[in-house]
Amino acid sequence: MEFLRAFFDSQRKHFTGDGKLERWYPFYEAIETVFFSVDTVSQNGPHVRDSLDVKRFMTLVILALLPLLFFGIYNAGYQAHRLTGQSLAFTDVIIAGLWIVLPIVLVCYLVGFFWEVVFAVVRKESISEGLFVTCMLFPLTLPPTIPLWQAALGISFGIVIGKEVFGGTGRNFLNPALTGRAFLFFAYPAQMTGDAVWVAAEAIGAPLIDGFSGATPLAISSLTEAYGSIHAGLAEGGHGFLTLLLGRYPGSIGATSSLLCIIGGAALVLMGIASYRIILGGVIGVLLTGWILTMIPADGAIPWMALNPFYHLVMGGFAFGIVYMATDPVSAPDMPGAKWIYGFLIGLLTVLIRVFNPAFVEGVMLAILFMNLFAPLLDHVEVKLALRKRVPNV
Amino acid sequence: MMPIHVKKGYDLKIEGKPSLDLVTCAKPARVAALPEKIPFIKPKLAVDTGDRVNVGSVLFFDKRNPLIRFLSPGGGAVEQIEFGPRRVIRKIVVALDDTEESESFLSISEKDLENTPREALVRAILIGGLWPLLRGLPFRDIANPEVAPPAIFVSLDATEPFQPEPEVYLAGKTDLFQYGIKVLRKLVKGRIHIAAPEGRLTGDEAIDASITHRYSGCYPAGDPGVILYHIKGSSAENRSWYIHGQDLLLLAQLLKTGMYPTERIIALAGDAAENRSHVKTRIGVPISHIIGDATEGDADIRPIVGGVFTGYTGDRDSFIGFYETALTLINRGDQREFLGFVRPGFWKNSYSRAFLSSFNRSDLKMDCSVHGDVRACVACGSCNRICPVDILPQLTFKAILADDVDDALSHGMLDCAECGLCTYVCPSKIELAGILKGAKMAYFKEQA
Repeated sequence: MEFLRAFFDSQRKHFTGDGKLERWYPFYEAIETVFFSVDTVSQNGPHVRDSLDVKRFMTLVILALLPLLFFGIYNAGYQAHRLTGQSLAFTDVIIAGLWIVLPIVLVCYLVGFFWEVVFAVVRKESISEGLFVTCMLFPLTLPPTIPLWQAALGISFGIVIGKEVFGGTGRNFLNPALTGRAFLFFAYPAQMTGDAVWVAAEAIGAPLIDGFSGATPLAISSLTEAYGSIHAGLAEGGHGFLTLLLGRYPGSIGATSSLLCIIGGAALVLMGIASYRIILGGVIGVLLTGWILTMIPADGAIPWMALNPFYHLVMGGFAFGIVYMATDPVSAPDMPGAKWIYGFLIGLLTVLIRVFNPAFVEGVMLAILFMNLFAPLLDHVEVKLALRKRVPNV
Repeated sequence: MMPIHVKKGYDLKIEGKPSLDLVTCAKPARVAALPEKIPFIKPKLAVDTGDRVNVGSVLFFDKRNPLIRFLSPGGGAVEQIEFGPRRVIRKIVVALDDTEESESFLSISEKDLENTPREALVRAILIGGLWPLLRGLPFRDIANPEVAPPAIFVSLDATEPFQPEPEVYLAGKTDLFQYGIKVLRKLVKGRIHIAAPEGRLTGDEAIDASITHRYSGCYPAGDPGVILYHIKGSSAENRSWYIHGQDLLLLAQLLKTGMYPTERIIALAGDAAENRSHVKTRIGVPISHIIGDATEGDADIRPIVGGVFTGYTGDRDSFIGFYETALTLINRGDQREFLGFVRPGFWKNSYSRAFLSSFNRSDLKMDCSVHGDVRACVACGSCNRICPVDILPQLTFKAILADDVDDALSHGMLDCAECGLCTYVCPSKIELAGILKGAKMAYFKEQA
């Protein structure tokens, strides 16, 4: 620690005042404040300040994502080994998983950090910690087979177009990680959708075993033909409710385990980081919409409608999306009532997109981005209603 | 008696509460008036260095209204007049002599008070130099002597850490307090509201019987602006006045005795203070006189004059202002902490639940560190949750920065109690309270 302090003290001069690297001060500052907190003191009242800062705020989100990353590494390795008929021993699986997942995460962090530094230096602002959350969220939503250049392109789009062009963290109106994912989804559908992308067999250099389709639960549901047979179809594909909840099935890297999302979400809500209103609103939206759809007598044209609404919660990326993406405070509404409606409509739209628009098998990404756009309107309405009760003071 | 429950706000668990003992301080060598710390006035000097002044001689007055005068809190010679940037008058220091002669003012007995016309009373307070103790909402400027307010709030508030407790300064002063209330009744067009915390009695039945509102809730539940916000029926009440309990005693003493009162009870607190207690001393004493030699040469300690949320930064050589009744000593806290942002934080104070200190019920040591770097607002909503007058600071400060004053006003910008809690909680370390206060000040100047 003393050694580190001495190191930073000796390097500081290059980045301040007349130092050669003065323009790169944001970079120096970002690295230094990882190890040592700032020494700023309040200039005027209030003289004391809360211990919470954005760095800790964002770090807690990253900590809540780590279990998902670890499970994602395990699951990516496990699925690749299982479906290529290789050893399922824990260490073998983990090594394969690291081989598949780590490069994607590292590329996202390097490219994301690069853009953030560029914009911070040009704007002479500090590097905002929101970046590190975005760079963790983004790879977890990708299929494990994603080419690295696409991951780099996606995170670039998310950071630059989704965030920096609007002024950086805090001024964006869309969730940057989802913006990047949506870009890849529409630009490179071959690598983002379909049955073949969810198992990284190629990465470990082994052929898939015969007869494996690789279909995700969402794909199976879309393809089910007979009304009322959707649960059987899922179970046949190896996707019982428990499997879906625990998340050991082929899917995007970090978003398959709904159980870990529930645990992470609970931790974030308890620490006051994520809004329980958005999460509960989303869950209610899914359950209510799903339940109403099961009530509608259909002729079997859309077997999706018969799905038990609780399946919607654990399938695909809904749990991940509602816990980690929808609760991004910047792109979500500010007002408490608006948060309930925002969450509810995300749930509703997710189900509607899944059920009625099989072209987009995963609805939650589009639902959240769509509601991001409506967040300011929801706020506006609630603020106007709240101000009616106020005795004017002008 | 009406109960008021203030739902929002925050009680800071900060170490260093003063005891209820009242310690009498010896006579200081000098006292000072600080024109710089009086809000909104344009001070003009009435004395020069070397002039002899009595207790109650005019030191300076407000150029906009020369009737608003500020009198000398001590008798002796003007030792020093210090100017700051742009000729702002920082302080007028009076070296006290042994005899300290006093000016004499009109005294009004309790019997005569009933028959004194309002104008005469206003004039007596103006001449007696204590009119500035009456403050006007919403700007908290000095009350305008030419209008009669719709209501006057008497604040027995001690919710901010660490203010003198009413039971200490009111002890044995029942008559004076009642007399002061009678004076206020003559000044007001509407009603007098006397607000005290729920449950806690001042120890005096006569005073307790006169209390009109009992508030419960966290800091700043007892602030006059917050109470007004919670009982306001129409916008006519926005321009109410207020006066603090201890100031009301000064006012009463002036009118009753005809002598300019100089006594002040100050709460000396903070974890870096040694003898934490209530101190009976004078208006405008040097800080070093109160804290003594105990912390001499200790540059790591910040003396805060007037409460940890709303006070100003002093130093050993500066003085206590006209309005301030608290002195808090805490550490400056400019050390860099190793890996501070991932520590469990059992001893780190926070409004959020992001630290283990959520489970720590005890008072915690705090310093002046801001605990982080300035970032853009991430819309965490903490300020909206904590604001006692529901301004929605998170939205209002953006309206102010975008120069949309109308929008900020409709959000209730002028109701802002200037409590500083929004700045306190902000994880992005944005000076929300400073922005709101600055916008109010700019609006005031625009109106004037």
